[in-house]
Amino acid sequence: MENTLAQNIIQSGLDRGADFVEIFEEEARNASVVFKDKKVESARAGTEYGIGIRLVYGFEVLYGFTSKANEEELLTIVRSLALSKGISADTQKPPITLAPVSVTDIHTVTQDPRVVGQEHKLPLLKRADEAARNYSTKISQVSVSASDMVSDIYICNSDGLVIEDSRVRSRFSISVTAGENGDIFAAREAPGSMQGFEFLEGLDCEKYALQAAQRAELMLSAGYIKGKQMPVIMGNGFGGVIFHEACGHPLETESIRRKASPFIGKLGQSIAHSKVTAIDDGTIANGWGSSNIDDEGNPTQKTVLIENGILKSYMSDKVSASELNLPVTGSSRRESYKYAPVSRMRNTYIAAGTDSFEDMVTSVDDGLYAKKMGGGSVNPATGEFNFVVEEGYIIEGGKIKGPVRGATLIGKGHEILPMISMVGTDLELAAGMCGASSGLIPASVGQPTLKVDNILVGGR
Amino acid sequence: MDFSSALDFICKEAKRQGADDFDALAGESNSIGLDLFEGKVKNTEISSSRGIGIRLFKNGCPGYSFTEKFSKEALAQTVKDAVAHTLLTGPLDLDLPEPGVLPELDLELWSNELETVSLEQMKKLGLALEASALAKDKRIANIPYLGVSRSSGYSLICNSHGVRYSVKGNSIFAGLGVVAKDGDSTKMGIYSNSARSIDEFNTTFMAETAVERGISLLGAHSINSGRMPVVLSNRISPQIISMFTSPFYAEVVQKGQSKLEGMLNTQIAGDKITITCNPHIKGYPGSRLFDGEGVVSAPCPVIENGILRNYLYNLESAKKDKRQSTGNASRDYSGQVGTGFSNLVMDKGSSTLDDLLAASPECLYITNLEGSSGCSSISGEISIGVQGYLVKSGKIVHPVDGITVSTNFFTLLKEIDGLSNEYSDTHSSVKVPDILVASMHVAG
Repeated sequence: MENTLAQNIIQSGLDRGADFVEIFEEEARNASVVFKDKKVESARAGTEYGIGIRLVYGFEVLYGFTSKANEEELLTIVRSLALSKGISADTQKPPITLAPVSVTDIHTVTQDPRVVGQEHKLPLLKRADEAARNYSTKISQVSVSASDMVSDIYICNSDGLVIEDSRVRSRFSISVTAGENGDIFAAREAPGSMQGFEFLEGLDCEKYALQAAQRAELMLSAGYIKGKQMPVIMGNGFGGVIFHEACGHPLETESIRRKASPFIGKLGQSIAHSKVTAIDDGTIANGWGSSNIDDEGNPTQKTVLIENGILKSYMSDKVSASELNLPVTGSSRRESYKYAPVSRMRNTYIAAGTDSFEDMVTSVDDGLYAKKMGGGSVNPATGEFNFVVEEGYIIEGGKIKGPVRGATLIGKGHEILPMISMVGTDLELAAGMCGASSGLIPASVGQPTLKVDNILVGGR
Repeated sequence: MDFSSALDFICKEAKRQGADDFDALAGESNSIGLDLFEGKVKNTEISSSRGIGIRLFKNGCPGYSFTEKFSKEALAQTVKDAVAHTLLTGPLDLDLPEPGVLPELDLELWSNELETVSLEQMKKLGLALEASALAKDKRIANIPYLGVSRSSGYSLICNSHGVRYSVKGNSIFAGLGVVAKDGDSTKMGIYSNSARSIDEFNTTFMAETAVERGISLLGAHSINSGRMPVVLSNRISPQIISMFTSPFYAEVVQKGQSKLEGMLNTQIAGDKITITCNPHIKGYPGSRLFDGEGVVSAPCPVIENGILRNYLYNLESAKKDKRQSTGNASRDYSGQVGTGFSNLVMDKGSSTLDDLLAASPECLYITNLEGSSGCSSISGEISIGVQGYLVKSGKIVHPVDGITVSTNFFTLLKEIDGLSNEYSDTHSSVKVPDILVASMHVAG
C-alpha cells in the first residue's frame, strides 16, 4: 500500500475520534502438494489478499477487513466502524507524520518457495511414502504433504509506525495408517520451520516416516490402561502442548482482560514447582512460531513467564497491555488480515532441568509414560484441560512395560503446575497450530521430559 | 472486477490456456458483529471477503489454485498455476456434471430482514443477555464470552459443461458463556444459537439457560471408576456423532481408513438407529440444492434401522465404485474437493429424556465434553473428559467432573439402548436426540 493512501485512511479514523488507528495489509502465497494412496492426490496454490483496519477507542476495538483494496472501500470501513459508535461527524485532527522503520531480519531463508516450484517437493514425498510403507506389511495407507507459505505484511499506524516484513514458513506432514484384524490406527508427524524450501530439502523425512509408522503399528498391539489418578512422565517435545493449552492460554492478557484466567493477580507469586521455568520466545532464529515483529509491528521478545515457580510475566498486546497497565511483550498475533490481533503464544516451552529419565522412571511404582502427546484443549476460564496420549506405556515397579492406547489426561492447569516435581535435560520444541480468537497460527510447544506427581488418566 | 465478471474471466482464461475441462467456485462472505464485557462493547467487527478457486483438467490430470485478488493479472496467474499443477498429478477419472434441474424448493436460507439488523440492535440484545444472566443468580462471577453477529454468504459454481448455479444464505448468532463461582468451585455455562431473525432470540431464556448450566455443575466431584450406563445429552450427542462422520465417506473407505469398509447392508448399529443425509430440510444450515461439484443434491439414507445402506460420494469416489455421486462433494474456493454431510439427521425415538435417565438404577448423564482430541475417526477410539450428573433411579444425585469416559464409536453405535423424542434447540446441520448407551468405561 502506498503510504499516502494509508495516511488518508488513518487520518479518517483519527478525525472520527479514534485514539489509535492501524492498517494491516497482507498478501500470502500458499502452496502444497499432497501424496496419498501412492500418487499425487493434489497440487494446489493460492493467493490470500486483504486489508484489516483497526480503530481503538479507549480499550474498545473496532475491526474491519476487506479483500477489495480501493480507497473508497477502505474509507467506507472506517466510516462504518465509527458509525457503529454513533460517530458520524469529522473533527479535523492534526495530520500524522509517518516514520518508516526497517525490520531486522533474524531468520535466514535461502530458497524462496515461490521461485523453487512445487515439482521439487515430489522426491521428498515419495521417499517418505516408501520409507513408511517399507516399515511393515501392516501399513495400509500413507499420506504425506509438503506445504509452504510466504506472507508479506505491511503495517501502518497512527503512532507513525510504518513497517513491512516477509514471513516464510515450510512444513512437512506425514500420517501413517496401520491395520490388522479390523483394527486401524493412524499416527502423524509434522515438523515445520520458518524457512524456505531449504527446510524441506534438508529434512530427514525417512526419520519422521519411520516414527509415524512405528507408532501406528505399535498401537495395534497396545492394550488399555486402567483409568485412575497416577503419576505421569510426559515425553519431551510435543508433550509441551499441555503447558501451552492449560497454562499458556490463561497467561495471555486476552484471557486476563476478560477475567477468564486462574492466574489473575498472581504476578510475583509462586504458581508452579520451583523446578519449573517457562518461556515464550518469539526470537528463536527460524523457529516455527517466531517472527521479526508481531502483528502490531512491535519487535518480538523472549518473555520469561515463570521463573523457578514464580509468575514473572503475562503475554500482552498493545490494547490489553494498556488496559491492564502491563508492558507490551510483542505477543500480538493473528492468522491473517481477517482477524484483529490479540495476545498469543509464539514458541512456548518449559526450560531444561537436571533430572535424568532413569530417575523419573524408577520413582514411579504405578503410572504412565506418555511418550508422545496428541492434541488437546482447555477452558481458560476454569483451567480444565483434556489431552490425548498418542503413544503411552504403563510403568510398573519403576520399569516401563507394555504400550497402551486410548489414554487421556484431564485436570486443571494451575493445579498441575505445582505437581511437576522432576524436569529432565532433553528440551525439544515441536511445531503445532494454535487456534483461538484471532485464528489459527503457527506456534511451537516444547519441554524436556518431566514428571507430574498426580494426574487423572482416563482409560478402561 | 466484480464477483461474477471475475468468474467469467477465469473460465475464459482456463479455456484459453488449454484446459480440457474445469469447474470453478467463487465465494463471498460478509459479517458484522460485536462482543461485550461488563456492560460495554469490547470489540466490533465488520468484514467482507471473497475469492475464486479453480480445478482444471489437462490430459485428464487435475490442478487446483485460488486467489482473493480479482485483477486480470492475478486471475490469469491463478489459471497458470492450476495448469502447472496438472503436470504433477496423475489422471483422475471423473465426469463433470451436465446442467441439471434443481428441485423447486425454498430452503429458507435467506432473509432480507436479517440484512437490516444493525449493530445497535445487536448491542441491545447483548446487553439484555448480560443483564438477565447477572440478575438470575449471585454466583455468576463473570461473563467473559458474550457476542452477537450476523453473517451472509454468496457462492457461485460453474463448469466447462455449462453448469452455473448460485446460492446465498444468512443467519444471526448470539451466545454467552458465564462463569459461576461458589467457594473453590468454578464452572462455565454456555448457551449460544443461530437464528433467521433477531426476534427469534428469547434473551431471558438464553441467559437463564447459560446460568443454569453453570450453576448446576458447581460442587461437582468425581465418581468411582467402573462401567455404567450413560445418557448423552442432546447438547453433546451431535458433537460426538459429528466427530465420526468420515468413516461414512466413500473416499475414506476406498483409502482403507474406515472401519466401515465391507459393511454395506450389514447391521452396524442398534436397530433403533436411522441416520439420513438430508439436504432439503427447510431452514437447516446444511441445506442445499447442489453440492460443491455442481451435482444436484438429494436425500440419502445412511443407516436404516441399524443397517448401513450407503456411503457418501463425490464425483471421484463415485467413479471409482462405478456408481453415481450422492451429491456430497464439499468444497470452498481455497480448498480441494472432499466429502461431507449436508444435514445429518438421526431419527428421534419415542422416550422422554426422563425415561432414559430412569431406565437403569444408576447412570451417568453427560452434558459437557472437554474437547475432542481423545476421539479418532480412524480407529473409532473415544477417551474424553466429561462433565454431567450422577443419576440414581431417575433423579440427579450430584454434578460430576474430573472423570473420563472411554469406548469405541463403533461399539457405541451397537450399544444404543434408547433415543429420546427431542433434539436440542440449536440451529445446526446435525440433529441427534439424547442417547442412552448401555455401558461405557468411566475413570474417576
